[in-house]
Amino acid sequence: MAARLTRLTQVLLLLLGILSARLVQLQLIQGARYARLSDRNRIRKMVLPAPRGRILDRNGVLLADTRPSFTVAVVPTELTDSALPLLARLIDIPEPDLRGQLQPVAMFASPVNVKRDVSIAEVARIEEASFRLPGVHVRVDPVRNYPGSNSYCHVIGHIGEVSKEELKRDTSLRQLDFIGRAGIEAQYESLLRGRDGSEYVEVDARGQEIGPLREKRPEPDVPGCDLIMTIDDRIQRLACELLEPYPRAAVVGMETRTGAIVCFVSKPDFDPNIFMTPIEAETWDSLISNPSKPFFNRAITAGYPIGSTMKPVVALGALRQGALTRYTRFQPCFGGFRYGNRTFKCTSAHGSLDLVGAIAQSCNTYFYQAGLRLGLDSLTAYAREVGLGRLTGIDMPGEKPGNIPTRAWLDSRYGKNKWGAGSVLNFAIGQGEVTATPLQMAVLYGAIGNGGRAVRPYLVARIDSAGRTIHTTVPEINQLPMRPEDLEVVKLGLERVVEYGTGTGARVGEISIAGKTGTAQNPPRPDHAWFIGYAPAEEPEVVFAVLVENAGHGGVVSAPIAGQLIRAYFSPAVEPQPEPDTAAAKPDTTPAATEAAPESSQLEPQDP
Amino acid sequence: MKRFDPGLIIATLLLASFGLLAIFSSGGSYFFFRQLIFLPIAVGAAVAAIFVPRRILYGLAEPIYALTVLMLVAVLVAGTGPGSHRWFVLGPVYIQPSEFAKLATVLLLAKHLSYKRTIGLNFRDLTLPVAIAAVPSLLVMVEPDLSTSLIFAALLAAMLYWQGMRPLHILLLFSPALSFAAGFSLYTWIPFFLVLGIILLVRAGVTKALIGLGVSAAFGLLSPFVLSSLKDYQRARIMSFVAPWFDPHGISWNAIQSQIAIGSGRLIGKGFLQGTQKRLGFLPNRHTDFVFSSLGEELGLVGCLILLGLFYWLLRRMLIAARHSGDSTGSLLCVGFAAIIGYQMFVNIGMLLGILPITGITLPFLSYGGSSLLLNFILVGLVINVVSRPE
Repeated sequence: MAARLTRLTQVLLLLLGILSARLVQLQLIQGARYARLSDRNRIRKMVLPAPRGRILDRNGVLLADTRPSFTVAVVPTELTDSALPLLARLIDIPEPDLRGQLQPVAMFASPVNVKRDVSIAEVARIEEASFRLPGVHVRVDPVRNYPGSNSYCHVIGHIGEVSKEELKRDTSLRQLDFIGRAGIEAQYESLLRGRDGSEYVEVDARGQEIGPLREKRPEPDVPGCDLIMTIDDRIQRLACELLEPYPRAAVVGMETRTGAIVCFVSKPDFDPNIFMTPIEAETWDSLISNPSKPFFNRAITAGYPIGSTMKPVVALGALRQGALTRYTRFQPCFGGFRYGNRTFKCTSAHGSLDLVGAIAQSCNTYFYQAGLRLGLDSLTAYAREVGLGRLTGIDMPGEKPGNIPTRAWLDSRYGKNKWGAGSVLNFAIGQGEVTATPLQMAVLYGAIGNGGRAVRPYLVARIDSAGRTIHTTVPEINQLPMRPEDLEVVKLGLERVVEYGTGTGARVGEISIAGKTGTAQNPPRPDHAWFIGYAPAEEPEVVFAVLVENAGHGGVVSAPIAGQLIRAYFSPAVEPQPEPDTAAAKPDTTPAATEAAPESSQLEPQDP
Repeated sequence: MKRFDPGLIIATLLLASFGLLAIFSSGGSYFFFRQLIFLPIAVGAAVAAIFVPRRILYGLAEPIYALTVLMLVAVLVAGTGPGSHRWFVLGPVYIQPSEFAKLATVLLLAKHLSYKRTIGLNFRDLTLPVAIAAVPSLLVMVEPDLSTSLIFAALLAAMLYWQGMRPLHILLLFSPALSFAAGFSLYTWIPFFLVLGIILLVRAGVTKALIGLGVSAAFGLLSPFVLSSLKDYQRARIMSFVAPWFDPHGISWNAIQSQIAIGSGRLIGKGFLQGTQKRLGFLPNRHTDFVFSSLGEELGLVGCLILLGLFYWLLRRMLIAARHSGDSTGSLLCVGFAAIIGYQMFVNIGMLLGILPITGITLPFLSYGGSSLLLNFILVGLVINVVSRPE
């Protein structure tokens, strides 16, 4: 036992010896150095800001990147009392404001940003006076830059300064950081942002850097990912050109087989670069007070009455239920339809039509009767089944589902049975409370053209990190309850719309286009003009939904715009990019960053 | 009074006084006075421990053990703590069941091992002792509190050695677990495996060496599979303990601050209450886990070595008490208690000096905390009981 006592004592002495040796090393051998480091804690953590990822169109056209900008930062513990007023004067911030900015963080020996995007002249003045400004630094920071057309302001969105609440919630954010506030910038915030690196430097008593801290390796920043969008800048620009005369409009173009969005426009727009520098009150006021609400993303957040573009849905639902065949003829149209003691109007006296003719001529009388035969419940149930009243799932924050008023909805809105039996007539021609977004309509018509296969629309085709592709979006397809034989009839009707019906304005010659016009009543203001068309008519590759607010007839205003866009899409000037490589990724892969993003605009989105 | 040893009492009280000074300096008067209130309670518990009849204590070993295991299970369900389940909160008091589990485990192990004349490397001798230590150890590990859970391995090893098991056999007994722990990375596993292989070949002969290495290899191979089945944060936590030098963020900020504090104390320190690191708020938990850092800063190398000397004195007296104890259960108790205090001292100071990973383990007698102070005083009280009172 004595031997074991000796042995255990030896182990104890060994352990104490290790600790003592380390103490001698730290306190005697390196003691002077540590004493210096501990004097006012001369270690400073410097942030190495990660450049935010770029955003490119499908052909590599740059839509968002970063440019350098100068930021003035202050280490509060090093700033002397005499330096503060001097600094305030040099960078033109009232002294009390500057003091207030530094107050809550006065304990820390890390720099605090006090003013960003200072001019070169200001930088020069600060550098000149640097010996009187201990603890003041000028840093080069990346600032977001949107070189593309203003029409990207909704789809790409913009970034904005973090709020105090966000700073509290997310500890990885710092004061004066910018985060995505709308569109793709918000949706893919975590991927775009990257991760800031840090470096620990030793500084002397005057706050001058001596060099990196030996004990702590710098942590390199991780640049944000690049996003390659599905948008084609050429089509996007053409859409803007075509919409030039109209103050309020939305256009969505989408590849019908994949869901890749080709163009995405919502008017009015604004220059997203205004958010990058301190915004001028005038600019802000004019944006905020504009009655057309520039921040409102009409393509996905505005529920519009869809007018006659509803009719193919009614036709498909009625055919599927057997309430109708393609040869069914109802009471002839004499410019209206008498129901109860009311007359429901039609655009002209169409006479007796079969289903294809009724679609081509957009005859209300025919669809009033089809709607009656189908019944309110079947009609609304079917409309929901084909995606109306539901989100499309686009990778963009703020999408609204529109509305398909069911019996229960009408009861709760107007009181039980307080609404007219004529509601179904209105719904059958897309009036009344039936609303949808342009994006929803594009997806719906894409599905009609493609055998009932609805796609999930997406804006980001590919995500690259450090030049390496880390994600490729794979189309998600959802079969809608549409029978091939019914689709054949409806597609024929939609072809006739462009051939000789209400949508002849969309004709562009060599390409066969099918589509549907819609003229949605919007009393007391002028009608909204709809056209949704796809091409080629037999096996569509692309669909465009065009909505122009208060512009009149869809066939006159919107159909020509869609026709031009379709022609541009197929024009040989541009070779369509190869579709995303579907074999490379799993079918259920969705972009990693689909976390809820903050609401985009300061205005409450509402139906126009 | 058979053989009263004043050294135990003096060393303990000096350590506790050191602790009070350090808590006052680093945590301020609030924690100082709270600890001051705990102290008489702890002394009272120690006095009770001196006079409790050991026969009754040994008789209660199983119920006490069962009770602490139950508490460990309960704390997993209902406990709180920073990112873990370590404490019960009863009004103003935080109770840490793992503190009491250490004592209960030593007690039951001592009672069981004392019946054995020899302990060989076989299932008959080892199944029960290993199980007794493993149950609380695993329960503490999932709290998660890896560093505390390893205390049970340390005290088991020390007690097995004291009862006559050969060091080589102890190494063999622990090698599968060590291999498993080292197996999370090839950089730790290959050196471990080489050292183990050399020791076994030199000391145990070819056959035993091959068997030992084979079993170790099997466990080492298991661990990558276990690792890959864990969640990311769990894996990060394990990696940061097993292989802190692979931490992609480099040495932890706290560890650097702690080293700066200690290093800047130099030979004689900055003087009591003159430390600057802690005042600026750079040290976290500065009155609990990091209390040694402010001692090092204010009292310097001289103060630190005096403190280590006090620990040496106390632990040496505990081992001598084990040597001179008349009953073998009591003797084993002293060794197990010494292992607990020695392990915590080494791991806590080692992490603050930057040679061990930062984990949440307290410095006995010095760190602020009622449960810990109470337990450590009871341990010393029981050692005094063993040396001074006939069974």
